[in-house]
Amino acid sequence: MNYKAIIVDDEKELRTYLKKMLAETWPQLEICGEAANGKEALKMVDAFAPHIVFLDIKMPGLSGLDVAKNIAGICRIVFITAFDQYAVEAFKREAVDYLIKPVTKERLLQTITRLKKQLQSSPEPPANIAEIITHVLASLQENTNAGYRYLQWIKTQHKESVRIIPVEEVDYFQAGDKYTLVKTAQGEALIKKSIKELSQELDPQKFWQIHRGTIVNVSRIENVGRSFTGRGILKLKNRSDDLTVSRQYLHLFKQM
Amino acid sequence: MEQQYETKYIFKYWSNIKNDVIDFIYVIINCTVLAIAVTIIGPIRNFLINFVASQSFGITVTSIVFWSLMIIRPRTWELLLFIVVIDVCCAVLIGLQICIFILQYFFNIVLDLQANGLGLQMIIGGLLFSFFGVYFFLTKIRLKYRNEMIDKEKTRRTDVEKANLSANLKVLQAQIEPHFLFNTLFNILSLIDTKPDTGKSMLLDLTKYLRTSLSRTLPEKTTLSQEMSMIKAYLDIHKIRMDERLNYKIDVPDNLWQHSFPPMLLQPLVENAIKHGLEPKVEGGEIVIRAIEENNLLKIEVADTGLGFSDLDQPGLGITNVRERLSLLFGEKGRLIIEENKPHGVRATIEVPVSEL
Repeated sequence: MNYKAIIVDDEKELRTYLKKMLAETWPQLEICGEAANGKEALKMVDAFAPHIVFLDIKMPGLSGLDVAKNIAGICRIVFITAFDQYAVEAFKREAVDYLIKPVTKERLLQTITRLKKQLQSSPEPPANIAEIITHVLASLQENTNAGYRYLQWIKTQHKESVRIIPVEEVDYFQAGDKYTLVKTAQGEALIKKSIKELSQELDPQKFWQIHRGTIVNVSRIENVGRSFTGRGILKLKNRSDDLTVSRQYLHLFKQM
Repeated sequence: MEQQYETKYIFKYWSNIKNDVIDFIYVIINCTVLAIAVTIIGPIRNFLINFVASQSFGITVTSIVFWSLMIIRPRTWELLLFIVVIDVCCAVLIGLQICIFILQYFFNIVLDLQANGLGLQMIIGGLLFSFFGVYFFLTKIRLKYRNEMIDKEKTRRTDVEKANLSANLKVLQAQIEPHFLFNTLFNILSLIDTKPDTGKSMLLDLTKYLRTSLSRTLPEKTTLSQEMSMIKAYLDIHKIRMDERLNYKIDVPDNLWQHSFPPMLLQPLVENAIKHGLEPKVEGGEIVIRAIEENNLLKIEVADTGLGFSDLDQPGLGITNVRERLSLLFGEKGRLIIEENKPHGVRATIEVPVSEL
């Protein structure tokens, strides 16, 4: 029986290359389609019902793993990845077929042998692949998405345009009447987000609320002193304005 | 902020009780040594008298000089010396009275100041040693101050050097993206069989790009045309990978091509436009690089029509790097502005003063 396959990769030259390699190593395999992104891949799976999908992981829009979740149980999947240590580890652990770019003939032959054996012993692809993909996705998120949960950019209206400031460049946020004042070395800007919202969205390791109306970038603190009334006085690096730490937040500085 | 003045260090030094105690012990020891010396050499061979006299002179002079300077806090050396001279003269006369009183009251010794000009001898000796003592202490403090300043300057210099070095290093680290390098190599590998000419030109582009980004130390300045040719090589590499998903335009007026420009400031912005803007967007988009000269500022903008930053996207090291280098090179006059591009995407603009290029 002749098997059908599709190749999914956002880079055209790499698709051509893999096609050529497959033609040399498995001439009977019919490559019935090439897809440049996840959506195209799903359409092709519907249209051609291939037995095997060679699937690149990093693609615009739907990633390879997203595609895999959708076609699990329909066809066998061989993942292709470049330089992604976490993905490779996860694949090894879950015993998923995968190829590392650049694909070598030896490695491809191994994969093909395994695929042929699997296809002969049971024509239906294993159903538990969806579960395995979920595992892989979970462990990938664990490793790569740490630190992405917090607000990273502040968008401020500046004349006609919207400026984008990385939060690292903010010295401090100060509550105003309706708006919140964003102070940076370059100047100041207004945003609509309240101090309360900011205190929930910013990384608490890097930004401390020190007053009902103030959040400060910890890396900008030069030193902290005490006022006569028992409040803290914060001096910031390269700034002349001092900030007040209310008693309620003084405990933050106890270990400093 | 407190005003800085020349003699401030002395008062800072004396505000520290530990220093005061040490200096006071110095005074006592010196006076004792002096008393022993005078007893041995003469003119007065009585240790008790010499001891009491030298201590009363020493302690009186020290106290008066100390308190008058600490209260008046003169800001110039001239005023300070003037106060010291008056202090010492008064203090010696007062010290003499104290010495006479102590000898009479506790030891029942009456000094005949008239005899052999004893009084005059004591006053002259007191003045001489007092001035010597004050000079000794002030010099000691000044030397300490100078050493401290030298140390400070040394650490400041090493800090600046370190900052320069790490800026250089960071620039290099930021350029060599393993992903980019490997991906380009895989592409070249695949092209060798299928389209050798395209592979060849990609390899040439990679060489051009690496020559600049891998050079161990960046040259201080390159020209805009050199910089743009490197950017073009970088974009052409991505163009082969992304095919019709990437289009780009470089728009530099003829008079600006030979303008000098710091190297590797633009590349991180282009890299961002591709990485955060166009690569993750299914239909891709366009990058426009434009240079203009306006109000003595050279402005270079990198605009893309990509996805733009979402609130949670991690800013690349590149942007922080560019900002740091701009401020290192041009202070407040070098700016990087990141804006939303209409209708979508990001526009990053570098502004540098033309006069300092």
